[in-house]
Amino acid sequence: MTVRRGTFLSSFPLQQPAQAVVLDSRTISRAKLGDIDAFTQIVEAYHGRCLRFARSMLRNPDDAEDMVQETFIRLYRALPRYEERQRFESWLFQILGNCCRTANTAFQRHTSRTAFDDETGVERVPSLDDPSAQFDGEWSEDVRRALAAVPDYNREIFLLHYIEGFPYEEIERMTGVKQSALKMRVKRACEVLRARLAGARSADD
Amino acid sequence: MTDARRDPLVRRAIEELRKVPPVDASATQRIVAAAAAARLVPSDDEPPVLGPPRRRPLRVWSMVGLAAAAAFVGFVVRGAWSSNQSVTSDTAVRTIASTPAPLIRAAATNERESMPIPQQFVFNNGSAHRVAVVGDFNRWNPASTPMTRSPDGQLWSVTVPVAPGRHTYGYMVDDTLLVLDPRSPKARDPDLGVDASVVIVGRP
Repeated sequence: MTVRRGTFLSSFPLQQPAQAVVLDSRTISRAKLGDIDAFTQIVEAYHGRCLRFARSMLRNPDDAEDMVQETFIRLYRALPRYEERQRFESWLFQILGNCCRTANTAFQRHTSRTAFDDETGVERVPSLDDPSAQFDGEWSEDVRRALAAVPDYNREIFLLHYIEGFPYEEIERMTGVKQSALKMRVKRACEVLRARLAGARSADD
Repeated sequence: MTDARRDPLVRRAIEELRKVPPVDASATQRIVAAAAAARLVPSDDEPPVLGPPRRRPLRVWSMVGLAAAAAFVGFVVRGAWSSNQSVTSDTAVRTIASTPAPLIRAAATNERESMPIPQQFVFNNGSAHRVAVVGDFNRWNPASTPMTRSPDGQLWSVTVPVAPGRHTYGYMVDDTLLVLDPRSPKARDPDLGVDASVVIVGRP
């Protein structure tokens, strides 16, 4: 399998930097022609990251696996249209983001289980209580809850930038939103995260 | 201002969120199998196009049934309303016979209008070795519709039956490069974030 692993360039160093998978361009070219082995390599390379993004992005994290599958199906159908000048993983996460946004809209429309918080104007996601949809540990649960309190449109940009490592100029190309607005969204997402996590810690104390 | 670089709480949260969840190998295989199967059948949002038009006899028959039912109801109502009047069998036959005709004609017209129309695609590229037209009408499959080179070697062309309506397409050059048609308007697929040429296929 022609997959290289490299350190992602992030806006700030972390103790355990995220790993980026860079696929050989020939693998993508072969997948464009319908080569199922090449497509399998793509799925293997990005499945984990897509799942991570979907679980954080979806209002119902239980749908993450389905949404990742839907994304790869769309990707495989659309591969002949992929333009090599575009970064492959930007394109993949663009499709994934669209799928997640559609799923969130449908979830919001059809569910009556979400409760609205009048004070902050954000929605809580009760399904986070499902242990299969979250990582182990109390801290992990606090982070998930705090992230769920970030509005969708800010959460997506925050995840793309800080978790998936896309620079702002790339996200601007992906979303069509100006960099200044993107930075503002990330800043607001960080503010909500910090406030929620600080609140959770003081409650624990 | 909350700055992630200076805020240890947010930094820790980011580190937590960056953990990649474990992936089940069987889940990966399921995805690959589902994608391979999905590429063989058109999705709901892709118009089925190439090949003979889909026959829908049920639609015509349902129209006939609807018309017959309407005629029957009309016959009964008319009979009740003018019970004292004599309704000849000739009138009843005329009522039933005349009602479904426009509906049948409309159904037949719809059927005719949805039939694929031969559409010629022409692409100018003298240096290409292989060119195929790809679009929503052939599921963007480069192997589906190869184009034929003209004797002078400059033009590539192919004529394919395409259902009436708006379609997006492009030219796949040498199996690797998707080129848009410079003579056609282009549109961005909002779902996939890629450009495609647009053609409107319709009857004159």
